[in-house]
Amino acid sequence: MTTSHLAISGVSKRFGSAVVLDDLSIGVAKGEFVSLLGPSGCGKTTLLRCIAGLLLPDAGSIQVGGAEITRLPAHKRNVGVVFQNYALFPHLTVAENIGFGLRAQGVARAAAAPRVADALALVRMSEHAGKPVTALSGGQQQRVAVARALVVRPSLLLLDEPFSALDRKLRETMQVELKHLLREVGITAIFVTHDQEEALVVSDRIAVMNAGRIEQLADPATLYQRPATLYALDFVGQSTRLSGRVLGREEGLVLVQTALGVVRAAGSFGTGSSVVIATRPEAITLDATPGMNRIEARIREISFLGSRTQLHLDLADEGDRGIAELPRLPEGLVPGALVSLGFAVPDTMLYPAA
Amino acid sequence: MRGSRDPLGLLALPGVAFLGVAFLVPLMLLLWSSIRGVDGFTWLGYWRVLGDEYYRGVILASLHLGLITTLGAFILGYPAAFALARAKGYWQVVLFALIFLPLTVSIIVKSFGWGIVLRRDGILNWLMLNLGLIERPVRMIFTEGALYAGMINVFLPFMVLPVYSVVRMMDARLPDAAATLGASPWFSFTRVTLPLSLPGVVAGASLVFSLSVAAYVTPSLLMGDRYMTMSMVMAKAFLNLRDWQLGAAMAAVMLAVAAIIVVGASLLQRMLGGR
Repeated sequence: MTTSHLAISGVSKRFGSAVVLDDLSIGVAKGEFVSLLGPSGCGKTTLLRCIAGLLLPDAGSIQVGGAEITRLPAHKRNVGVVFQNYALFPHLTVAENIGFGLRAQGVARAAAAPRVADALALVRMSEHAGKPVTALSGGQQQRVAVARALVVRPSLLLLDEPFSALDRKLRETMQVELKHLLREVGITAIFVTHDQEEALVVSDRIAVMNAGRIEQLADPATLYQRPATLYALDFVGQSTRLSGRVLGREEGLVLVQTALGVVRAAGSFGTGSSVVIATRPEAITLDATPGMNRIEARIREISFLGSRTQLHLDLADEGDRGIAELPRLPEGLVPGALVSLGFAVPDTMLYPAA
Repeated sequence: MRGSRDPLGLLALPGVAFLGVAFLVPLMLLLWSSIRGVDGFTWLGYWRVLGDEYYRGVILASLHLGLITTLGAFILGYPAAFALARAKGYWQVVLFALIFLPLTVSIIVKSFGWGIVLRRDGILNWLMLNLGLIERPVRMIFTEGALYAGMINVFLPFMVLPVYSVVRMMDARLPDAAATLGASPWFSFTRVTLPLSLPGVVAGASLVFSLSVAAYVTPSLLMGDRYMTMSMVMAKAFLNLRDWQLGAAMAAVMLAVAAIIVVGASLLQRMLGGR
């Protein structure tokens, strides 16, 4: 493994009796974008605050560029943060907000001015330099927050739910814009988010967090196609999942009896174990070819989503979920119809029952 | 615009009418008696107050007392307001009670309380004697130190409350943001926290100052005649000397001081809020 720009090892943090970070380790390469993805309370923001120096971990070490910073106060770390809702200084103008870090670090006014101007230009806010930040729209405030953090040339940029204050359409634009901007600057960035779509869009790698630990760390495609655990499967994207029991093995594959039929998948489970099989909605087809897994199900509801159509399947078991996505809806398919669905064995995932 | 007169303004009418009768009329009568001489109009009352070294001293002493009290209340109250605003759950209730419950105790009781604590045979002297800190009782009551302590005690909540209400609305992550930008705690405080809390400080300071300049009970109980304030002179003039001209002129001067503070503070507020 190459040496990490950000190296976190064995970090733990508890608040009272609640363990928020549990012996967590992660390495991030220089220039890489990594998302910490998880529901609220999984410890992602706590980890971010530990990296920023706003919180002291109980144990473990944090290194940036080979230097130990675990116990360094925030203002000596040179780690930039874009806060949720941005935390801009309401009594200062756009330019004063961006110049704040330079002034704080003792850069003379004359030397700071061109750097502030460059930062304003970088986020295309030059014409708003003299405005109070309270007069800006959400998207503009985010740009100011990013420029304010970048202008001091931090060794690392942390972004805490940077898009949560924006409406959906603007959010999608800003995600691509910000990703592009940070790539151009060449900075290492950590995004904290609970939005899996956002994580897929902005990240080189995603760390799915659960109860203070990293459940899986992988690039977006791997995470989507091969989630390591049921938790990761459920958190990223939609899926069809069926609980079942292992019948035995055949040609190196595990045979699983589900409520909708026998399914084969790669894995190693003993006969009789309780398992869950899963596949992604777009892996399912109505035109099954030989060698595919097949299930029989009744259509409960059909949703037209524009570029594709979703079939929601009737399921026997409580914990099961059934969603198939088709590029287009065949003629004559209506709710209540019994359909035969196929999905390839390599697209079939197998997990121990929760 | 013709319809720019807000009918909601009419809601102020009962209050204005009450103040008109209960405040404005007596005030006019008071101002009238300050310029009424034996043979009609005279500035004599004002000349007696402003031209006399003793009364000028009283005015200065009142201003001095107001300034010290305001300063003391700021030094003690400013951090307390932050603690109150950032405290959570149970602690906030306790801190609130500690700061505001004393308001329910009458100023007279509080000032007598200070008297009991600070007396020659009072609790503080007894404590220090028994701890061996002092060999004979120290004179504390009827000293300026005792007066300042009592005044700050009485007026502290009036500083805490306005600052608290401003700090509570302040985004608690702003100091975090400053720190991640490389700002030392001191830089962060002077450039972010202090400027943003200033409107609360101005409001609190003008309240405490105008109240303490006009203070009567606490100075008379803790200092007696040794520290004459404007209010004490007024009380003496009206009650003992039956010198209405003197009392009314002194009252007018005090009113002018209060008016300057109120107008100045609200101008300052506008300036700070206009950013």
